[in-house]
Amino acid sequence: MPGPITIFSAKKIITMDPAVEEATHVAVRDGIILELGTLEECAVWGPYTLDDRFGDSILVPGLIESHAHLLDGLLWAKAEYVGPIDRRDPSGKLHEALKSVPALVKRLKEIEATISDSKTPLIGWGVDPSLNDLVDPITRHDLDQVSKTRPIFLLHASCHLAYVNSATLELANYAAIKAPGVLRDTSGAPTGELQEMAAMMAAIKAVASDLVGASTDTAQFFNFAKVAQARGATTIVDGGGSTYFEPAFLQAALAATGSPDFPVRIVAHNNGITVPKVEDMIAAATSLKDKGNDKLTFQGIKILVDGSNQGFTGRLRAPGYLRTGANGLWNRAPEELTRIVSAMHAAGMQIVAHCNADQASEVFIEAVAAAQAEKPRADHRHFIVHGQLLDEAQLRRMAALGISATLFSNHMYYWGDFHRAHTFGAFRAAAMNPAATALRLGVIVSAHSDTPVSPVDPLLTMWAAVNRVTTTGRVQGPKERVSAYEGLRMMTYNAAWLLHRDHEIGSLRVGKRADFTVLGSDPLTVEPMAIKDVPVLATILGGRVFSVAG
Amino acid sequence: MNIPVSVIGGYLGAGKTTLLNRLLADPQGVRLAVVVNDFGSVNIDAALIANREGETISLTNGCVCCSIGDNLALALHDLAERPNGPEHIVIEASGVADPARIADYAASHPRLFLDGIIVVADAETVRTRVHDKYVGDLVRSQLETADLVVLSKVDLIDAAAFRQVRAWIAAEMPGARIVAAPRAGQVADLLLSGATGYAALSRPRADGEHARQFATWSFVHRQMLDGDALRTAVAALPPAVVRAKGIVRLVEAPERRFVLQLVGRRWSLEPEPVGTQDALASDPSVIVCIGLADQLEPEGLDALFASTPVAALPGAVRDLLQGEATT
Repeated sequence: MPGPITIFSAKKIITMDPAVEEATHVAVRDGIILELGTLEECAVWGPYTLDDRFGDSILVPGLIESHAHLLDGLLWAKAEYVGPIDRRDPSGKLHEALKSVPALVKRLKEIEATISDSKTPLIGWGVDPSLNDLVDPITRHDLDQVSKTRPIFLLHASCHLAYVNSATLELANYAAIKAPGVLRDTSGAPTGELQEMAAMMAAIKAVASDLVGASTDTAQFFNFAKVAQARGATTIVDGGGSTYFEPAFLQAALAATGSPDFPVRIVAHNNGITVPKVEDMIAAATSLKDKGNDKLTFQGIKILVDGSNQGFTGRLRAPGYLRTGANGLWNRAPEELTRIVSAMHAAGMQIVAHCNADQASEVFIEAVAAAQAEKPRADHRHFIVHGQLLDEAQLRRMAALGISATLFSNHMYYWGDFHRAHTFGAFRAAAMNPAATALRLGVIVSAHSDTPVSPVDPLLTMWAAVNRVTTTGRVQGPKERVSAYEGLRMMTYNAAWLLHRDHEIGSLRVGKRADFTVLGSDPLTVEPMAIKDVPVLATILGGRVFSVAG
Repeated sequence: MNIPVSVIGGYLGAGKTTLLNRLLADPQGVRLAVVVNDFGSVNIDAALIANREGETISLTNGCVCCSIGDNLALALHDLAERPNGPEHIVIEASGVADPARIADYAASHPRLFLDGIIVVADAETVRTRVHDKYVGDLVRSQLETADLVVLSKVDLIDAAAFRQVRAWIAAEMPGARIVAAPRAGQVADLLLSGATGYAALSRPRADGEHARQFATWSFVHRQMLDGDALRTAVAALPPAVVRAKGIVRLVEAPERRFVLQLVGRRWSLEPEPVGTQDALASDPSVIVCIGLADQLEPEGLDALFASTPVAALPGAVRDLLQGEATT
């Protein structure tokens, strides 16, 4: 017995379907699009309820965040956001950027005043002095202004660094911890900056133990979903580090996503990051295949090939990092990677490979080439995550081998100036995240935020790919800018294709899921620099309306 | 007591696992914890397994094998804080890890300290590997970080090739300390600092292969030693010395005993931790050096250490120091 029909009206419905590009009404039944067209065309299916609350708005296919991490949701649950980038929390509240140490200290004082118990540590996240107006280090002296007695622990946006106050240093006995990542002043006293996990762990265990180990807190799933939904996402990827193969974790994930109020679909990559052996990755992926629900599915196995470019750990081809010529770190040995790729490819798996710099991409592309030679497979949809330094030669080879990518377009905005000055120099910084060339060569690409690394905000990501502007307003690599239409397609259809979901989501067409993002203006016709400011009014997931706060 | 931590590094296939297997099968009475990336790679003999719980396998010989999971620091802190925990921790660095970065973790907890970085290199392939376009820089930096290089699979190359690769490492990495073995496991007992106190200084076993490759030189003196002279002597030890241990008494702090630890290029001379028994006037200074049998020159070592006892100081100074030491 089919359910009732709802017809949503809109000022314009942008379908991203190549055959029928626009409509004004969409009929929805049982979470599926029944018809798209005019009211009359929709009405032929029979009695309906007309929902015209979005009659003056623009409907686009539900936006897709193609690479993000559940950690974002855990951080919102366990820590206070105090970073240098504007972010909205799961309740929709805007946390304005703190772009100097004094601003940070002022904000921390405000937070401190709200914590009643004197022993409760103050945990913050998202800090990154490299994005401050004045790049001053954060020291224990700064944090001691907030409190000399309450332990303070601030996690850097990269999660590789932390800043602590004297109370934390004392509580965690840093006098006895000699790890070189514990920075010290000329007197030998710790400055409060802790670099890398070897230096951070004592403080984490003493004051922030919630941040390590697999949490089964259901709040992390809701937070992860709500932050993305508030910026218009209807589908988000959990990018591979989570342990869904552990029954308790899976149960928590199913409980959260099984709620009718859960506002997005999560496509989770299977874990090839903390699982060492490829047989175990394949076994876990196979056993999880049918364990999801309507809003939680598993797709692809995520592996790491190298590190991060801003951390100087991405693997670069010659001439290496700017000035030093240094190179980064492999996460897995190239020959091991070749074996893993071959085994996953032969087992029919989709491989999702984190390759930040170009030597990492090269090794992955060659591994897929070898796997394809052993066992040719059509439509495997293996894809590269980040692929920031892909060049024409690599993209052509990817096109030939069927490899695609989700690019880190947000990086051009947040770190474009940093890369130009410190990691890659002028040419390579201008050539980063080459979306236009990729699309021209037939490589299907999406783009992503990698939250918590940068804020999840699909319109901002689209804007970054369309404008390629840095935080100082410089346009880097204008030839690689894409049109607004291509940008929107990257955040809808192309992302759905990468996730093997383009038959269900990513465009609006009869029979596909009724997932829409409701916008206040048309992102295809606004001034390109205004795309990121297009208001997100609501999302519709399987025909159900989820409002957006504010 | 604080717990020494050894890091075993080296590229894939060099023989790290062989070494770990040998350590776990024959820990020489040491309560050992081995931290690995993946249980699958160590193939622990089923008869040795007493219990498996999550990330830890307990063995019948008192050792444990832990997998790193996704957080090495957490695994190490857990070991450091266990009641009746390990006496020595050995970390297997992944084939692509920088062992120096892993070694930083040994300083991540007050109870842990770095004993040494051992890098295993495949004698047959290491020279080609350093020119590999993807991993050449990595293999080279691993060797450069090593306190002690273990050249494995030397039975697969002839004597001339062996001499060449050893000379090549010595030339590329000045001061490198190198031991060689057909199987990396054969040098396992060099890695363990053994029991604490004087018992640690008993002579290592001299089974056939070991005796052929290694020789021991020792030094026992009833007098206290001059700290600066001792430090100078240790710093000047020839590359043939690959391991040294000692318990000494120094005139600079006569109420304490000091522990000398040397693994390849890395050495330390530290007072015994607070809480251990006070030094007795009768405690001797004992140093044992283990070196390559074909290169160790006992006379050279005798000469090197000859100036360390205070007896070697001019009589008046010696009397003064000894006088202070006993008051």
